Amino acid sequence: MSLIPDKPPFKLLDILYKKEFILFVVLVSILIINSNISPYFLDLYNLIDSTFLFSEKAIIALTMTFVIIARQIDLSVASIIAVSSVVLGYTTSLGYDTWLVLLLTLLSGTLCGAFNGAIITKFAIPSIIVTIGTMSLFRGLAYSFLEDSYYNKFPKLVGELGGGYLYGYIPYAFLTFILLAFVFAFILHKTSIGKKIYSIGNNPDAAQYTGIAVDKYTFVLFTLNGLFSAIAAIFLSGRLSSVRPNIAFGWELEIITMVVLGGVYIYGGSGSILGVVISIFILGMLSFGLGLLNVPGVGIIIFTGLLLILSIGFPSFVRTLRRKNE
Amino acid sequence: MKLELKNISKNFHGVKALQNVDFQLQENSIHALLGENGAGKSTLVKILCGVYQPDSGIINLNNKQQSIPDPSASLSLGISAIHQESVMFDELSVTENVFIGNHITKSNGLVDWGLMQDKTNQLLKDLEANIEPNEKIKDLSIAQRHIVQISRSLIHDADIVIMDEPTASLSQKEINELYTIIRNLKKQDKSIIFISHKLDEVIEVCDDFTVLRDGELIKSDTIQNTNKDQLITYMAGREVNQIFPKNNVTIENEIFEVRNLFKKTQFKDINFNLRKKEILGFYGLVGSGRTEIMKSIFGITKLDEGEILFKDQKILIRKPSDAIDQGIVYLSEERQQLGMTGLMSVKDNINMAVMDRNSNFYVMNKLKEIKNSSAMQEKLNIKVSYWSQLTQSLSGGNQQKTVIAKWLSTKPEVLILDEPTKGIDVRSKSAVHEFMGELVEEGMSIMMISSELPEILGMCDRVVVMYKGLIKDILNVKEASSEQIVKLASGES
Amino acid sequence: MKKILLNRDFILFSIILIILIAVGFANPLFITPKSISDVLTDTSILIILALSQMIVILIRAIDLSVASNLALSGMLISLLSTVHPELPVYYFIALSCVIGTTLGVLNGISIAILKVPFIVTTLGTLSIYRGLIYFVSDGKQVYSNEFSEDFLALIHFKFLSLSFLFWLAVVVFIIIYVLLNHTRFGRNLYSLGGNPDAAKYIGVNENKYIIMAYSLSGFFAGLCGYLWVARYSVASTQIAIGFELTVISACVVGGISVMGGVGTVLGCVLGALLIGLIRNALPAVDISQFWQLAISGAIILLAIIINTKTEQRKEKTIMVEN
Repeated sequence: MSLIPDKPPFKLLDILYKKEFILFVVLVSILIINSNISPYFLDLYNLIDSTFLFSEKAIIALTMTFVIIARQIDLSVASIIAVSSVVLGYTTSLGYDTWLVLLLTLLSGTLCGAFNGAIITKFAIPSIIVTIGTMSLFRGLAYSFLEDSYYNKFPKLVGELGGGYLYGYIPYAFLTFILLAFVFAFILHKTSIGKKIYSIGNNPDAAQYTGIAVDKYTFVLFTLNGLFSAIAAIFLSGRLSSVRPNIAFGWELEIITMVVLGGVYIYGGSGSILGVVISIFILGMLSFGLGLLNVPGVGIIIFTGLLLILSIGFPSFVRTLRRKNE
Repeated sequence: MKLELKNISKNFHGVKALQNVDFQLQENSIHALLGENGAGKSTLVKILCGVYQPDSGIINLNNKQQSIPDPSASLSLGISAIHQESVMFDELSVTENVFIGNHITKSNGLVDWGLMQDKTNQLLKDLEANIEPNEKIKDLSIAQRHIVQISRSLIHDADIVIMDEPTASLSQKEINELYTIIRNLKKQDKSIIFISHKLDEVIEVCDDFTVLRDGELIKSDTIQNTNKDQLITYMAGREVNQIFPKNNVTIENEIFEVRNLFKKTQFKDINFNLRKKEILGFYGLVGSGRTEIMKSIFGITKLDEGEILFKDQKILIRKPSDAIDQGIVYLSEERQQLGMTGLMSVKDNINMAVMDRNSNFYVMNKLKEIKNSSAMQEKLNIKVSYWSQLTQSLSGGNQQKTVIAKWLSTKPEVLILDEPTKGIDVRSKSAVHEFMGELVEEGMSIMMISSELPEILGMCDRVVVMYKGLIKDILNVKEASSEQIVKLASGES
Repeated sequence: MKKILLNRDFILFSIILIILIAVGFANPLFITPKSISDVLTDTSILIILALSQMIVILIRAIDLSVASNLALSGMLISLLSTVHPELPVYYFIALSCVIGTTLGVLNGISIAILKVPFIVTTLGTLSIYRGLIYFVSDGKQVYSNEFSEDFLALIHFKFLSLSFLFWLAVVVFIIIYVLLNHTRFGRNLYSLGGNPDAAKYIGVNENKYIIMAYSLSGFFAGLCGYLWVARYSVASTQIAIGFELTVISACVVGGISVMGGVGTVLGCVLGALLIGLIRNALPAVDISQFWQLAISGAIILLAIIINTKTEQRKEKTIMVEN
């Protein structure tokens, strides 16, 4: 048997060209700059509390990574949060048992996601257009149900999950995100499920002709995205302790930014959980740092938008220039 | 002299696509441009179309030196190409496709639809084509689309028309009509560059020929001074015996059978069986329903009615994985588009259909993957430096081997090959045929769709002849004549 | 005859008529000339934006930043008008268009030159442009009493008892109709969207057309920036938020294929009219305004499903007899 190595000989230089490494360097620089600018930045309690700013989005970013690697996109996640939060508030107001409330909340998100998945696979319609539709539909349902009122009573457990800490140190939302990140990294990079998702994103037709159940995977991924939006909705409602229909408005953009900045190709087929996790920390630490500098929220929005465009635009521009010089 | 290319060279990243090639096109002539895949034909055509720029060399048109910096320059110099691949706009009308990129405008700058309509009408009448100018391209047949493309080059007042395998998917009747049109063009003082893999056709239609091999000019002469065997020798660089290495294997019992397959608007009354170690050919025109049947058998599309038997057991195939699990696999005609994920590693591609076998409760087992990859590499001699290499970085031939490796990994018993040698050169072709022979010897059974009669006659034991979604007959190849098969396939008799 | 009945635009037109009649039965006040002219006025901005979005969708892209662009252009000229109320209104309109075009060109450059996929680019600029409004305005609103009379007067101009906005929409419709059907530029947009690879062979410069399409989209977003601010006599960080979705749904309902290269200008306008009609009819039949968003979403889904269904039916036929 001929011996063909699995990988080329290890070269230290190769690591330097990895997306994850570049992202890591960016993260470290942000940490250094932030701690130099503001004395409050490196305070452990402050840092821990800053995770509240991004943990809920980060949880959805994990499933969104799967969705985007499979060459799909889901713009309706923030609207699913709205639906699930309303279900959470409504079922509480009916006086249901806490566990039933949570179950119904999770079920509502899952159903929304399954609805997306069903339309996309059943009618073979591009997910961008379907989820633009369901983005209005779901948010609209939340509006039509709640109108201009709001919910501010939730089970005690929900408040605890949203704002509480494990052992008084680690926020539950952040803990959930970190644990899920390990699970998702394992699934994506070590199992046949992950490999099938890459195949689908890379060439859906070839994947179908190779016996991979493309539609089934697509459906499950969207359903999962809905479920995770509901999980995020529980943490978020608990933290805000009030739910209006405009909850999490515009979050779909921030979540997609997390994923794309993390090196996941928007047209599918490549990317890693590690990259996305680093990018989540970059964005989180960035907005935390800017917040300490009293830069208003919109400044962060503008910065995020620019970062998103430039993180893709700059490398491809350099590539074009290099090709022209050849 | 209409067109003269002198000393044309073109490199891509150090690979010499063309080296000092000369090419002369006489006035009023049909000139065959021949060569195997990768010989440099399409590079030469793309230089003439302004898609590529030559690194060196001179282009003389009507004895005047010219440069062709972009596609529109090529058009305005009177060069027009009729491409093998679709360069049509399905959703737009015939008129618009004829005038695309060259719309006639009125003095106020607006498009003159009336004039364009009249001109298209006149043109189609001159070509004796029965096409409505208002029809959308998506409603036309392949032959009609060719005619629209030809009209397009006439509108551009092109006096050099390049035809890249124009007859590849036409019926004999349509081919004859096309020949008439080509000869008419010649009468109208046009010069034609004709690219084809069908040498009989070249000898029948063309006046001159030029053969390229590995980017170099091998021979240029008039057709009268050559013959088919000589052309093959020029192209391959050695004597190639067009023998088909189907070894004499003893055909065993029936392994696979279909009964009364029916799919609305696609095919009906489809009955045939396949025996172990047999090669069963499927012959018919492009669009006669052969591929559609195979897709249904493989579970890509749903059958409306009918049953499939495998080893005397009725089986239900709802999706491709059902077929693969049974040991039935389908290699599509579009080998890369439907077979390969270019941005994934060679190892991943080879193991793509057997992921479940290579994993323990979903967790991938790398050792198993490498073991299977190595076994396939040894069998097919895939040239790869390391397993995590991206598949798209392999050469075309090795990519194809990777796709075959993927399917052989599933240890199939029935192999469905859809046009396995379409568009590949003589040398690779006989390699594929040889390999098919080996597989059958090992105990596999093959169903092969092919539009090339010599291939069917050479490789198959029996042939299913199809016409418009129906099986006209199933013939024993040894007892059938090629005339009989062609007649059946064109719906006569 | 059968062809006309199956024509998409005709079906859409019939649906509009049916809804109009049905709502008229429920509430006769809704079909008075006054009320219908109000609906038309109310839908004009949507029509203009849907027509310019159509140009972008034709080349297989989407511009999600139009509403942010509109709001930013509108805010900038409003701020200027508070400082320089003496400037003529035409100056503000022209300026709004220039700002809008510039923002559109930036989108185009990012997509064509930097090769950032259109979804990423326009999602990014959706928030950048919106964010910039906060920056320039400090989060404050410009109220009706801060605008000059001249600034607001144009919008109240009427001709044949139909509003300025309506007539402007008609003019834009004619311009885009001629542009897409009777100029080389328009036809090349169709060819680029229908088959981008083949379009290159006939000499269509893809990058140029992408930048042009986004500039046009930006231009009209800028124009609507003025129209919106003048019509509602208010400029704030929140105006037209989420309106890009309404615009896209108008296009989808109007039969503009998101796969590119397919769709008629008339269909696009009918799509916008249908959406505008439904939005206006809800209060007339006593449905709370809070349902509006959900209904728009449902319409997008329904329209896209019907579009895809009718497309898929045209499968190639192999057998003559069946």
